[in-house]
Amino acid sequence: MVEVRFHSLGGQGAVTLVNMLARAGDLVGKYVQAFPFFGAERRGAPVKCFLRMDEKPIYLRSQIYRPDFLVVMSPAVLEAALEEGTKEGTVLLVNAKEEEEAAKKLAGLPFPVFAVDGTSIAIDLGMEVEGMPVTNIAFLGAVSYVTELVPLEAVTEVIRESVPPGRVEASMEAARRGFTSVVEIKGADVPGRKAARGAVR
Amino acid sequence: MRLVETGNHVAAWGVRLARVEVVSAYPITPQTQVIEEISRFIDEGEMQCEYIPVESEHSAMAALIASAAMGVRSFSATSAHGLAYMHELLHWAAGIRLPMVMVNVNRALGPGWNIWCDHQDTLAARDTGWIQIHCASHQEILDTVIQAYRISEDPKVNLPVMVCYDAIFLSHNYMQVEIPSQEDVDRFLPPFRSLWRLDLHHPLTHGSVIYPDDYEEVRYSMFRGMENAREVVKAAAREYRETVGGYHGELVDAYGIEDAEHALVAMGSMASEARVAVEALREAGHRFGLVRVRSYRPFPVEECRRLLAGLQKVLVLDRSISFGMEGPLYSEVKASLYGHGDAVIYDLVTGLGGRDVTYEFIAENAVAALEGRLDAGSVWPSVRLNRHHLVSKSGVERLGSKGGAR
Repeated sequence: MVEVRFHSLGGQGAVTLVNMLARAGDLVGKYVQAFPFFGAERRGAPVKCFLRMDEKPIYLRSQIYRPDFLVVMSPAVLEAALEEGTKEGTVLLVNAKEEEEAAKKLAGLPFPVFAVDGTSIAIDLGMEVEGMPVTNIAFLGAVSYVTELVPLEAVTEVIRESVPPGRVEASMEAARRGFTSVVEIKGADVPGRKAARGAVR
Repeated sequence: MRLVETGNHVAAWGVRLARVEVVSAYPITPQTQVIEEISRFIDEGEMQCEYIPVESEHSAMAALIASAAMGVRSFSATSAHGLAYMHELLHWAAGIRLPMVMVNVNRALGPGWNIWCDHQDTLAARDTGWIQIHCASHQEILDTVIQAYRISEDPKVNLPVMVCYDAIFLSHNYMQVEIPSQEDVDRFLPPFRSLWRLDLHHPLTHGSVIYPDDYEEVRYSMFRGMENAREVVKAAAREYRETVGGYHGELVDAYGIEDAEHALVAMGSMASEARVAVEALREAGHRFGLVRVRSYRPFPVEECRRLLAGLQKVLVLDRSISFGMEGPLYSEVKASLYGHGDAVIYDLVTGLGGRDVTYEFIAENAVAALEGRLDAGSVWPSVRLNRHHLVSKSGVERLGSKGGAR
């Protein structure tokens, strides 16, 4: 079983993100489970979501405290995300620009760390709601790349099925850019995302 | 057709496939998605159903009693305070023997306003005469909603059925479900033929004053109907498996119990988690099994005896509390086993108000029971005092030292 925990801010679309990832997992024949910590549903409030995928039926119903992957969609919730629980070899995917100070700090963490500039992708493609960049589609691609749980093709299939026709093109582009623009901030002992994953499992 | 959906939307699919004709409900978190999805089905012409908007749960159940009394297949959904508010009407629906199905998404009762999972709401409705079935997966929610109409409408039963599942852990969780074809469900579930109905041309009085000479007989007939439900629940599920596929029919769902020395007993999503605890305990060399109580009413007395009486230790998990006594499921399991075997029975009261219960936590407490480190009776192992509780406590103490509030 692979377990992924997501931390974001209300409005970034994390709940939709885990739902779409679950549906992509279903498309490639995996058993899936995706749920939010159901709390204050306000724009800008911290949000937690959970995703499980397995080759066997999933009986766990609890939250995830030792994730294989920890996805942090805003640097503002990084600390809270780490406090919530990790394990040796948890792989981080953080919304950050490679050249930023925040990204440099990430290199000091005792985990393999990847970064994707989901915010710039969202702004660039006009994916904003009330001034808040909706980064979930960029993360759809980036999570696909880092976790290798679902291929980009499955992700784009889910986009085609669920995004309103007028926004499919931009969403596809956001997912593609998310997939291709992930950078490794800190590798495992050997470089490459596959090696980082190898260190986890 | 396979869907990845929330437990709530899966329940709505069950209602749609059961060809329910009247829905009346009042929105309450975490149930609201159920009736939202039903409203969408009706709006898009997928369901031929009248949706009666009401101003409260009390009225929702009143409307449902009226529609079921007209011989119409009826549905409602609620949670926690909604269920509490319609409590009087729950007795009415069962007392005049009206078949109907209601989903209750298990949620904690306030105050301490809390929208998360807890079984206090349904367990407090235990003695209303409603059948209560607790689900642990999305497929079980779908299959049980459909089967519930067969059970409820069976002339040997004629009692309303409450289909219960846990807030958030199931209600808002996206998981896979197989949606059967309408044709298959139609073969399993024919249109509702009520034993009686309100009819201007054949007027009758139902549920009026009954003197002491006759009241006991009415209650006894409800008791018999509930006893008959034991077999009807199983028969409906067997036939469902033949015509539709899938099976969720026993009053309990047992796992790893055949060669078990000890067992866990639980309901709902926590029982699903407990299944993983059983695997972990077995890996550590402790032969545990699991008895998941599906049907809380009728309670699986015989099943508990058959599966648990010969065991050494039984650990019950309660997600609610009967104040002044103990966990309600604990009471029921002990009562079932009275005079049968000599298993030592323990109880964890835990997971209240959505407190997360992990399989590791369950396994740790099971090992504590094996090693004699767990007290008998209801214990509350997840209760702890943190600085927030202490701030509240010191605030009240300060107030008290000044002579208290006036």
